Amino acid sequence: MDELDTVIHAPARLRVVSTLATLAPAEEIAFPKLQQLLEMTAGNLSTHLRKLEDAGYVRVSKTHTGRKPVTYLALTTAGRRAFEDYTATLTALLKGAGT
Amino acid sequence: MSSSPRDHPEPRKPEVLDPAETLRLIEESQRRARAGTEPDGRLLYLVWGIAWGVGYLVLWTNARDQGGPPTGPAFPIFGTLLIAAIVITIVHSVRRGSGTRGPSRRVGALYGWSWMLGFLAYPFIIAGIARAGASDDVIALVANALACVVVGLMYLAGGTFFPDNRLFVLGLWILLTGGVATIAGMPGTYLVMAIAGGGGFLVMCGIEAVLTARRRRTAACEPGGRGAVGQEPVDG
Repeated sequence: MDELDTVIHAPARLRVVSTLATLAPAEEIAFPKLQQLLEMTAGNLSTHLRKLEDAGYVRVSKTHTGRKPVTYLALTTAGRRAFEDYTATLTALLKGAGT
Repeated sequence: MSSSPRDHPEPRKPEVLDPAETLRLIEESQRRARAGTEPDGRLLYLVWGIAWGVGYLVLWTNARDQGGPPTGPAFPIFGTLLIAAIVITIVHSVRRGSGTRGPSRRVGALYGWSWMLGFLAYPFIIAGIARAGASDDVIALVANALACVVVGLMYLAGGTFFPDNRLFVLGLWILLTGGVATIAGMPGTYLVMAIAGGGGFLVMCGIEAVLTARRRRTAACEPGGRGAVGQEPVDG
């Protein structure tokens, strides 16, 4: 049995990664928009994003719109692959449990 | 498979999530993400269904009673409905699309501008055929047909590159509507636009509503719920 990726496996981070995975590979989402979609507090979301960034799963780019700093987030290729592996493992587990 | 009840205050270990529950959590997160970043088809089809349905019915009843082209408040009512639909569409689409950036933003923006450009040419063409001596009937028929051609082709294009099969079929339907509306002549052209055109949008609205409800039902029966999981304590 394959092991599940522990970085993704925490439910809050799983929701973050699932949400980011809906973006096309070259797309990015602004922090406030992501926060609004996930209904998480800014601090909570930041901490999870930091963990995902440290694992190399999330890319963080800071930029400005006018004078306002905006942080954009996206899955890295490694992050997208990890998410795909994770769902594949889950599906396999489910099939194994069903038979 | 047996699902252990996971209520919020329960401090959980990662192993507690079973695969089925986790897959549902993923599905629900992704459904919410798409709902928050893509325009709501139900709203847009409803707005345009009302604008075309009511607007063209007003033109039809007026033209039928007059025995000629619509007069009085008919066109102002029609125009107001269209402007309201345009404003709602732009505000809603821009709002949903905000907060993301990348190639698809560019595609969306160019698609939006294509609509504007298509209808920028529209009044000049109508004015041109009027100046060339077209009768009121010809002007009315061309106005409806041209609107259907622009809208129909835009939907075919949108359905192709978004990609969205239902939008493509709607494009086909609107093109057919334009053909039938022109053959119908005055004042029946307005009735065809109201029933087939406006009705087409309303049918699409119904289809979107059913599909949305079905997606929500499959994703929402997950124990634990999204709110509970979202505010979980941060840990490894």
